Amino acid sequence: MKNSRIRILYIDDEVHNLNAFRASFRRSYEIYTATSALEGRQLLKGIDVHIIIADQKMPVTTGVEFFHDIKNVLPEPIRILLTGYTDVEDIIDAINKGHIYSYIKKPWDEHELHRTINNAYEIYNARKQLKEKIVELEKTNDELNRFIYSTSHDLRSPLMSVLGIINLSRLDNTVTDPMGYMDMIESCVVKLDGFIQKIIEYYRNSRLDVEYEKIDFALLLKDCTDTFKHQNTSIDFHVDVDQPFDFKGDTFRISVILNNLISNAVKYQKPDAQSPKVNLGVKVEPHKATIRIEDNGIGILSEHLNNIFKMFFRSKNNNKPGSGIGLYIVKEALTKIGGTISVDSQYGEGTQFEITIPNRNEFDS
Amino acid sequence: MNSIPDLRIVLIDDNEIDLLLHERLIAIQQISRTVLSFNNANKALEYLSSNVTLPQIPPTVILLDIQMPEMDGFEFLRSFDSYPNKIKNQCYIIMVSSSLDFGDINRTNANPLVVRLLKKPLQPRELKEVIEGIFKEQ
Repeated sequence: MKNSRIRILYIDDEVHNLNAFRASFRRSYEIYTATSALEGRQLLKGIDVHIIIADQKMPVTTGVEFFHDIKNVLPEPIRILLTGYTDVEDIIDAINKGHIYSYIKKPWDEHELHRTINNAYEIYNARKQLKEKIVELEKTNDELNRFIYSTSHDLRSPLMSVLGIINLSRLDNTVTDPMGYMDMIESCVVKLDGFIQKIIEYYRNSRLDVEYEKIDFALLLKDCTDTFKHQNTSIDFHVDVDQPFDFKGDTFRISVILNNLISNAVKYQKPDAQSPKVNLGVKVEPHKATIRIEDNGIGILSEHLNNIFKMFFRSKNNNKPGSGIGLYIVKEALTKIGGTISVDSQYGEGTQFEITIPNRNEFDS
Repeated sequence: MNSIPDLRIVLIDDNEIDLLLHERLIAIQQISRTVLSFNNANKALEYLSSNVTLPQIPPTVILLDIQMPEMDGFEFLRSFDSYPNKIKNQCYIIMVSSSLDFGDINRTNANPLVVRLLKKPLQPRELKEVIEGIFKEQ
């Protein structure tokens, strides 16, 4: 059990102090001693100690100076200063600069010193555990991210083969399929691929550095609406961009946000709607852009409004396919770029989202 | 595609089903009668280097998959870059991937050896148009 004992280095130029310390504490702790700062440093090269106690008044290097010197090379051991005279200024200074955990007056009180050592060791342990936990967490986080990334890619590749086979079967007419099974397979595969793409989107949002580029909202919105127009050709898209100022923002995240919101506006239309509408409005100011996305679709139940940005939350009042991750990604992406979102919805009437994104353009520079 | 009668296609993909799919697509679209399939980029390199002894190398379109074990598409490009111009000048590389990775997209766009990046599944018409486009510019 030798390894579990508290290891202490005690530095003092007075040998009888070292001996007295040994005599009092040898049964409780593993003790190393040195008669000067230099000797102490030599010793520390070979042994990992938990606590260092140093006398303040030593020739050549004082205790405070010694602690100051080793602070950066050896931050882990907890430092305790021992001082025979109350040189208050020095001590206050050293403690405030964080070199020293505690100080003990000479001659020491055995109980007090015991208590101080044990407290110091507890702090040593807590810091060490915290560090280990951080390393562990970073590692699992990293593994999780890599896992998500590689699974998404490995899952997509065979799916694309399936789509290729379906395409081919149509091209060479080798499959008789009066019931339209091929179409069903295709729609399932496309749906599955949609989920995987959402996972990749989430992954990239959490990992990629934020990058600011000039954004032309008219162009960006046209890209978005072009993607969704064919999904429901009866929808009337109305786009209104008011951009009198240059805007700089993270293109990837802003298009992820817009794509998810517009996709929802298209998807959650009433099945029998006479004139389904999606209105997109952008207003750019020198400090921010405000984007409104409005639809006259099925709307969101008021009791669900608080939950729609939660991961995997899905409203039960619709039977539309969805992963419950789209709005979560929107929220996460907005957090990354310092934006905000608000939502207003009347059930059965439609939904309005309003997002604001800070403008990173630096004018007049 | 009658205008380029001696055109040949080299397929490099570790996925046997995709190789088969692409062979069929090329046959149906009548892009070329000569299709050479390799499930390993190293073997394709070996074959292409052996072409140096031919008196004349036919125009060649290479469909190159990105994610492959052993040697991936980018490693293939690195090795192929060192090949003599006699071979390189006759080869047109189209990269093929199911990946949506931005890094991959940027890397293919930046590589002068690559004519285009096409996403899987290959769209028959798109493939034909891209290949026709390559030889129209000549």
